[in-house]
Amino acid sequence: MDNISISLLESGQDKAVSEVRIDGVIDTLTASELEEVIDSLIKRERYKIVIDLAGVDYISSAGWGIFISHIRDVRSNGGDIKLAGMIPNVYEIYELLEFDNVLKSYRSVDDARANFQEAGSSGGGKKKTGSRKP
Amino acid sequence: MFRRPIKEINAEFVAEERYLDSIQRIVKEACTAAGMSRRDVTAVLLAIEEGATNIIRHAYLYEKGTLRLRIVVYRKIIAFSLIDSGRSFHPEQTGKIDLEKLVESGRKGGLGFYMISKIMDSVEYISAAGFNELRMLKRIRGLSATDTPPLLRRMFTLRAKFSFFTFLIVSLIIAAAFYFVDRRTKMEVRGHLEDMVWALSSTIADQAAGYYINSRSDVEFDELIVSYTRANPTLKLVVLTDSTGLIRAHSGDISNIRKPYQAPNEIDPQLIGVHQSLDTTQSKLNYLALNIRAGPRFFGRVHTVYSSEPVDEKLAAVRKRIIMFTGLLLLVGILGIYLLSNYFVKPIAKITHRVRRFTSGDLETELPLEGADEFFEIARALNDMMTRLSKDRRNIIEREKMAKEIEVASQIQKTLLPVQLPAIPGLQLDAYYRAASVVGGDLYDVFEIGDGRFCLVVADVSGKGVPASLVMSMLRTVIQIHAVGARSAKQVMLAVDDYLKANIPPGMFITVLLAIYDTSASRLTFVSAGHNPMIYYQAKSGQLKTLNPTGMPLGVPVTLDRDFGSGLEEVSVELDENDLFLVYTDGITEATDRDGNQYGMGRLVEFLQQQLVGDEAIQLSKLAAGIVEELDAFSGFAKQNDDITFILARTEGRKSSSEKHQEPAGRAVIDSQTYRSTDSSASSSPQDGDE
Repeated sequence: MDNISISLLESGQDKAVSEVRIDGVIDTLTASELEEVIDSLIKRERYKIVIDLAGVDYISSAGWGIFISHIRDVRSNGGDIKLAGMIPNVYEIYELLEFDNVLKSYRSVDDARANFQEAGSSGGGKKKTGSRKP
Repeated sequence: MFRRPIKEINAEFVAEERYLDSIQRIVKEACTAAGMSRRDVTAVLLAIEEGATNIIRHAYLYEKGTLRLRIVVYRKIIAFSLIDSGRSFHPEQTGKIDLEKLVESGRKGGLGFYMISKIMDSVEYISAAGFNELRMLKRIRGLSATDTPPLLRRMFTLRAKFSFFTFLIVSLIIAAAFYFVDRRTKMEVRGHLEDMVWALSSTIADQAAGYYINSRSDVEFDELIVSYTRANPTLKLVVLTDSTGLIRAHSGDISNIRKPYQAPNEIDPQLIGVHQSLDTTQSKLNYLALNIRAGPRFFGRVHTVYSSEPVDEKLAAVRKRIIMFTGLLLLVGILGIYLLSNYFVKPIAKITHRVRRFTSGDLETELPLEGADEFFEIARALNDMMTRLSKDRRNIIEREKMAKEIEVASQIQKTLLPVQLPAIPGLQLDAYYRAASVVGGDLYDVFEIGDGRFCLVVADVSGKGVPASLVMSMLRTVIQIHAVGARSAKQVMLAVDDYLKANIPPGMFITVLLAIYDTSASRLTFVSAGHNPMIYYQAKSGQLKTLNPTGMPLGVPVTLDRDFGSGLEEVSVELDENDLFLVYTDGITEATDRDGNQYGMGRLVEFLQQQLVGDEAIQLSKLAAGIVEELDAFSGFAKQNDDITFILARTEGRKSSSEKHQEPAGRAVIDSQTYRSTDSSASSSPQDGDE
C-alpha cells in the first residue's frame, strides 16, 4: 500500500536548489517518508526546495501539513518551498483550500527553478515577496 | 431543501487504515450517482479521508473500534456522517481554523479539519452518549453555502403552499355555489317573465276572439294590440292572424295587414303555447304563439315577440350582489386560512428554533408544550431527547473535567519527586517510582539535614487526584522544614503530625516511613507512621529482616487511649559494611496478578534473598531493575493500580567511604524513560521502558 517514491536532485547555480520529485500518493501512510526528506534538507540548510508534484495523484492533509509546517522556517532562512507541475485534480484542491495564499505553485520544475535563480541573482538572500519580477 | 431522501447508505468498518479505500469507493459512487461534479467529488473524497483518518488515528488511539459511515442523498444535497465511539475531540479543536495561523505556528494539527470545513458546506461535530458524529453537508453542484434559505423563508413557502391550496379549494366551492345560485335565479326570473308574457298574450287572444265574433274593424283590432304593446314595453311585437294565416293586425307595420304571416326563421311555427328564443345577439328576443279560440271555434293566432332584456338586467344586479358576497366570504376565508396556517406553522417554527438553539449549545430551556395534540407529542418527544442528550453531555463534560484534574494532579505529583538524589557518603542509593494509570499519591524524598545527616522519606497517601497531590506536596514541604537540623526521626514525625493533623482532609490518611541516616555513626534511625515494614539485609549474618516499628498513619483520628505520639516507636539500626535496606510503598506488595493474588511481602523478601545470596555485591541499579522486572513478571498483563515506589540503600566499605565522598552517589531514579511514559498521561500501563 506504501506507494510513493521520492527522488532528490540538486541543481541550479552552485546546486543551491533541491528538487524533490515525488511519484504516487501523499497520505497519512506515505507522508512520513516525505517528511524525512524535507527534514533532512532543512537540517543541511538547503532551504531552496522545489517539489515536483507531476507524478502525484493525491495529497491528504498529512502531505499539505508538511509543506505548511515548514514554509515559515524555510522562508525565514531566505528559501522557499515551491510546488511544481500539479495535475488538475491536485491543483483544484490546492486552490479550493486556499493554499495558494501560502504556497507558490509553478507550471513546471524549470519555472520554479528559474524563479529561484532570478531571485537569487537580483536579491540574493534578502526577503522575497511573491512577485516574480521587480 | 431537506425533502425526502433519495437514497441512504449505511456502512460499518473496522477502524483501520486499510479500509479507507472501501470507504472512498462508497463515497465516490454515491457522489457520482447524485450528479456531483467531478471536481467536488475529488474534494469530498479528500474530506472524508481526513475525517476517517482522524477517527482511526485519534479517536481510536488506544483501542480498536468501528467506524460507521452514513450517506444520505437528497435532491440538492448530500449528508455524510462519520460515527465512532472512541475518544471525542475538544470543541476548540473543531472551531474555525485560520490557515495563516497554522502557517505561523508551524504545526500540522487542525489542518485536516481546516480542509474538511473548506470543502464541505457545513460541518458539525456532535459528541453524546458515547458516540461522536462528524456530520458534513455538501451541496450538489455550484450552489454556494450562503444561499441556504433562512428559516423564515422556508416557513413562508410552506405557509404559501398551504394557503394556496386551501384558497383554491375554498374558491372552487364558492364558484360552484355561485353557479348553482345564479342558474336558479336566472330560471326563476325568466319563468316569471314567461308567465307574464303568457298572461298578456292569452288576454289579447281572449279579447281578439271577441273582436272576431263581433267582426270588429281593422282599426279596432289595431288599437287593441297597440294598447298592449304601449303598456308593456317588454312586448316588442304583437301580430294577430286569422284562421287562414293572413295578418289581421300588426303592431309594427300596418301595411302588413292581409298579407300571409311569415313566422321568424328561428322558430318552429308548429309549436303553439311554447316560449321560443329568437337568438339575435343584440337584444334577447323571444317568441310565443297562442291560438285565438272561443269554445270550439278557432279564429286565428296571437304571435308575441318579447324581450328578456329587463330580466338580464335584473339578473346582472343579483349576480353583482352574489359576487360581492362571495368576495367577502373569500376574504374571510383567506384570513381564516392564514390563522389556520399559523396554527400549524408556528409550532413547527418554534420547535425548529428551539432545536437549533439546542444544537448550538443551549441545553437548558425546554420546548413549550402547546399547539395541537400532534405538536404536543413532537415537543414532548424532543424534550425527552434533549434532556437525555444534555445529561449525556454533562457526563462527558464531567469526564473531561476529571481528565483535566488527573492531568493537574500528575503535574503536581511530578514536582514532588526529587530530580537528583543527593550524594551520601558511605551510602549508595537507588530509588524507583512508577505512576499507576490514575494518579496516585506516592512520594519519596532524600535530602541532607546538616551535620552529616540525611533524611529519607517514603510516603503513600490514601486518596487520589488533586486533593491527594496537594496534601503530598504539603507533606513534603513540612517534612523538609522540620527535618533540617533534627536529631531524631520521631521528633520530625511528631512535628509533621502536629502540623498536618489540622490540614488533612477527613477520610484521607498518609503512611510515612521517615528515616535519618547519620553518616558519621553509620546509624539509621527511623519511624513508621503506619507504613510498610522496612526490609533490612544484614551482610554479616546474611539474613533479611523486616523492621516494623509501631505507629499510626497520619490523619487517623486520635482516640482517647492512644494518641499519635505515644504509639510512635523509633527504631535504630547500626549499619555495617554492605548492609542493605529497602523502603517501599504498598504498590509493590499489593501488586496483583491476573487472578487477583497479591504479590505480598513474603515474595519480596524471598526475591531479595535470592538475589543477595547469589551476588551480595550486586549493583543497586541492577537489583532495583530486578525488583521491577520480578513485579512485572508477576502481574503479567494485569493493570498496575497503584504507584510503585521504593528506595534501595546500601552501606559501602568503611575505608572507601571517606574517599568516595565527592563521588555522585545516587542515581536519579526516575529514569527518563519511565518519566516519559508516565508523561503520556492517558496511557494505562507505562511498562515500555525500552525504546
